[in-house]
Amino acid sequence: MIVGAWICLVAPLAGALAITLAGTRISRTTAGWISTLTTFVAFAGALVAFVGLWAEGHGDREHLSTAYTWLESGDFQVELQILLDTLSSTMMLIVSGVGGLIVWYSMGYMEGDEEERRYFAYMSLFVFSMLMLVQAGNLLLLLIGWGLVGLASYLLIGFWHSKPEAVAAAKKAFVMNAIGDVTLALGLVLLIWETGTLEYLGVFEQVDGLSTTTVNLVALGLLGGAVAKSAQIPLHTWLPDAMEGPTPVSALIHAATMVTAGVYLLVRASPIFEAAPDVQALAAILGAITLLVAGVIALVQWDIKRVIAYSTMSQIGYMFLAAGIGAYGYAIFHLATHAFFKALLFMTAGVVIHHLGGEQDIRKMGGLRPLMPRTHLAFLVGALSLAGIPIFSGFWSKDGIVAAAFASGDTLGYTLYAAALTGALLTGLYTFRLYFAVFHGKPSELVKEHSHDGQREGPLSMLIPVGVLGVLATIGGLLVIPGVWEPFLHWIDETAEPTVKATVGQDYATSAIAVTLGLIGFFVARRASAAGRQIVTSPGIWRVLEHKLYFDEAYDALFYRPAAAISVALRRNVEEPVVERSLDEIGTGTLQVGGEVARVQSGLLRTYAIAIAFAVCVLVVVFVAVR
Amino acid sequence: MDGPDVGWYLIVAAILFGIGALGVMMRRSPLIVLLSLELMLNAANLTLIAFARQQGDLDGQIFALAVMAVAAAEVAIGLGLIVAMARRRMLLDVDQASALRG
Amino acid sequence: MLTTALILLPIAGALVVAILPLPRETTAGLAFLVALMEVGLWITAATQFDFDDGGLQLGTSREWVESLGISYSVGFYGFSLWLAGVTVVVFAAAVGYAVWVGRDRSRAYHALMLFLLGAVVATFAAQDLLLFYISFEAMLIPLYVLVGVWGGERRQAATVTFVIYTMAGSLLMLASVVAFGVTERTFSLTEGITSDNVWIFLGFAVAFAVKAPLFPFHGWLPLAYREAPVEVAAVLSAVVSKTAIYGFIRIGLPSFPEPAADLSGLILVLACAGLVYGSLLAFRAPDLRGVIAYSSMAQMGLITIGVFAFDDLGLDGAVLLSVAHALVSASMFLLVGMVERRCGTSEIAALGGTARGRPTLATVVLVAGMIALAVPGSATFAGEFLIMAGAYDQGWGYSVVVALGIVLAAMYTLRVISAILHVKPGHAVRDEALDLRAGELALVLPLLLILLGLSVWPALVSESAFAGSTIAELLP
Repeated sequence: MIVGAWICLVAPLAGALAITLAGTRISRTTAGWISTLTTFVAFAGALVAFVGLWAEGHGDREHLSTAYTWLESGDFQVELQILLDTLSSTMMLIVSGVGGLIVWYSMGYMEGDEEERRYFAYMSLFVFSMLMLVQAGNLLLLLIGWGLVGLASYLLIGFWHSKPEAVAAAKKAFVMNAIGDVTLALGLVLLIWETGTLEYLGVFEQVDGLSTTTVNLVALGLLGGAVAKSAQIPLHTWLPDAMEGPTPVSALIHAATMVTAGVYLLVRASPIFEAAPDVQALAAILGAITLLVAGVIALVQWDIKRVIAYSTMSQIGYMFLAAGIGAYGYAIFHLATHAFFKALLFMTAGVVIHHLGGEQDIRKMGGLRPLMPRTHLAFLVGALSLAGIPIFSGFWSKDGIVAAAFASGDTLGYTLYAAALTGALLTGLYTFRLYFAVFHGKPSELVKEHSHDGQREGPLSMLIPVGVLGVLATIGGLLVIPGVWEPFLHWIDETAEPTVKATVGQDYATSAIAVTLGLIGFFVARRASAAGRQIVTSPGIWRVLEHKLYFDEAYDALFYRPAAAISVALRRNVEEPVVERSLDEIGTGTLQVGGEVARVQSGLLRTYAIAIAFAVCVLVVVFVAVR
Repeated sequence: MDGPDVGWYLIVAAILFGIGALGVMMRRSPLIVLLSLELMLNAANLTLIAFARQQGDLDGQIFALAVMAVAAAEVAIGLGLIVAMARRRMLLDVDQASALRG
Repeated sequence: MLTTALILLPIAGALVVAILPLPRETTAGLAFLVALMEVGLWITAATQFDFDDGGLQLGTSREWVESLGISYSVGFYGFSLWLAGVTVVVFAAAVGYAVWVGRDRSRAYHALMLFLLGAVVATFAAQDLLLFYISFEAMLIPLYVLVGVWGGERRQAATVTFVIYTMAGSLLMLASVVAFGVTERTFSLTEGITSDNVWIFLGFAVAFAVKAPLFPFHGWLPLAYREAPVEVAAVLSAVVSKTAIYGFIRIGLPSFPEPAADLSGLILVLACAGLVYGSLLAFRAPDLRGVIAYSSMAQMGLITIGVFAFDDLGLDGAVLLSVAHALVSASMFLLVGMVERRCGTSEIAALGGTARGRPTLATVVLVAGMIALAVPGSATFAGEFLIMAGAYDQGWGYSVVVALGIVLAAMYTLRVISAILHVKPGHAVRDEALDLRAGELALVLPLLLILLGLSVWPALVSESAFAGSTIAELLP
């Protein structure tokens, strides 16, 4: 069982190394297969671990396995260890399973790119890092996985490195994530001094003994990391830009796995957050704000991938909300279903983009339904699931979160509830605005241009993963039917006991409201589409939303430009005039003094001799006098 | 201990040293300057040997031998310089050799 | 004996190279061979070294000037053995690079490099203050000549500034050495004699601060790093700067416990200032060398924070980061040299786009860059994390400054990577500029492989740097 977990961790790393070392000696297809197969080996390992864990008794499902001591200093030790429990095994399955499908899909999508090998090496590196993140047995190892996924994300966003926008987006993503990394690291530093360990189990045992300030600061540090990684307000601006990367990357990293790492951390470290209820509430509030803001911004975007990116932010907002109010099972459940349907949406979007020769602007699309029937169907499944229409997976997970918000009670709970329901309406609106713009209406010039290319919607390696995910997005939600059958929740509850649970009545009442709102969104979007107008009609609001509420501009003015200005000012006003010129002055000063003193050097030997004699006399007098 | 008291030797050495020093300071011919230098060194030698005899050990004598060796080397270099100057038909006047003036 | 051999081999090599009238290539090859033998010798020493023992090992001690209490006393502790190890490796790469580019006046050049190697190793091994001082000074002579003769256009100015700064530091240190010897009646570092004289400590501290360099003693740094031949710059930033850290750890803390504690606040503030200041300047420096120079200064500030955190975590972190930074900055400088050879400049505005069609260069620059910016999981990250944790002992503010430094490091390092590799080729990048050649790769790759190895297992260094000794019972 634990061997399966180790195989799961190591296989993708082996894949990445093999592709790197082989270099140009293997063909591009071979590189793709190595990456795909090692990821599926990881999935098999995860499956073995899962089944092994399943077979164990309730309460025994927690295994810590240590390989060696990674870092040691004095009494402080960090071991390379993995923790296998219900939460991590679920995440392993999601990461390696969805990851395997997307890497497979990439083989079709990236075909013909001249640097495919590099792409697959990066993909394998990413899968390894993500598995490290979810399997880590202590917080430092988690931080390492955390940083390495950021690295892989940087590499893959900037994969097309001759595009300046891609490089800029990659740098932005890395720096914003680095901010999250260091806040997380600061939280860990505090933990080291207060508890002397970073192992989850050791830390959780001692949480109760810590002072409120300490716990709050630690929780804030962790939350900072989670917010940056999961693109929540206020550290969210990198995610839309990250869409400059290849589409499968967006599907894998910026939808299904990496960006949900923040949610994983909130759930994993739930004992810490429960000891710091204010910070936990802050997580929920940030989630709620993000889900609204991102949902509204998604209404005015023209880039198909950016719409889905904002929708991702919005959905992760739901997960943060869930984790923030203590509905951990639902947070992870929504994480899982979101991985299915959002990866599906991105991959179908990828098929469309691929088909249209790289075009991403939805204004140039339209009427694709008859031309790409299978793609259309898959996209529709994803859209229905995202909007939370019954049967489809998103329905079961999202409504559970909304109901839990209601069940948590008090003013905060009801506010969050209202926000989550508003979010449901927004989701319906932006999802179907996108759907109608792409697949309905009259075919545009661009679509006509590409429609006689043949009947194929894409290579099999792209269509099979899409099909598998389509099935998962349809039925994946059936793992939780409130009041009837809730194996998924029970499974997660073993690791993270929820602090809030909606009654069955609350569940179904909420669902009724949420589905109605989702359907309203559908119909409004359809009417708007049929009438050829947008959902947001006020040009003033449109402009504000188009600028994404001016977050980028504000950060530019607040941080980047001051930093650059300080840097230039330091060079002009300190480095050059003071430090460097002081040296010149020392130099010229020395020369001047030297010039004065040099006059004594007459070059006449006799004067020297006289000087010596005189000096000797003086010394003699001094010595005699002193004695 | 036979012979004159050590003080007499010191007086002679001081006189020798004074003559030498004055010579170095006042004469302009490099040859005389060199001679005067030798006088000073030998004054020092005389002191060393005088004290060695008074103390009754050989350290001073050995040191005097070392000084003589150094003096010989110095004379060799000094004479070499003088010959080189003469070859270049320079005036044999130490005041003229002031190229090192600052 | 091994320690003495480690010191004498390169010096003997330097003499042989300087005296034997061999042709240019043979001379260069001989020098490289000596550098490699030195690596082999170090490995031998490491195999004989007991890393679980925190005491002085491989030691030799001979009376030198008995009446003054001066002795020829050398040996290694765990941390100094690691520093010496990284020195010999970096020198092998640097000498190899000089061979590869074919520096002119080969005999003089290689003799000086080898002499420098011997002096640096001697500095790390010295267990007597006077011996330490002599070795410390002996490093400077070859450096002056190497920068002044083989440097770039403004080499004269660079040398003069370097001389003024380092001489000023050295004189203060000499005064301190003498004062210490006179007041304590010994120059030995192994007898555990301590002094509580603040002025003596300050003399040492200033000398080390100039060498590191710490803010505001860094005036020599930008010119020297820009004008020196790249491999000399590599050696300068990689290992010569670490002698300052060694000095702080070996002399500053154990011999002056009280003054060091009293002045730690001042030094920590300066180190923090240097960290932020260097990072900010690196962020806007117009050329690659400038970025690496200022980033080196920032990293030295970070390491100094670790040393003066006064706890195990900070000290272990400082040694780990010293070792890792030496390898990283040597690789970065050598890579910059390789880029300069292809493009004729290191102006960031004139570079770019070299990744296309040059996969090896791209991979190597990327790996070096990622380790330089301390991506979590790398050896540099392990060091920085330990320092960050250790600095908390002195106040949470220091940890926050370290965190700020890490974010800034990400910003300026990404700028370098992109400037070399990404976007459109700059006007200095010609299409026919080659990928890394096998010879060049063979110089950089070992450095990176060691770094990756340390990333997989940083405990190798952090655990054995001060085996079994806590800060209270530090050295000797």
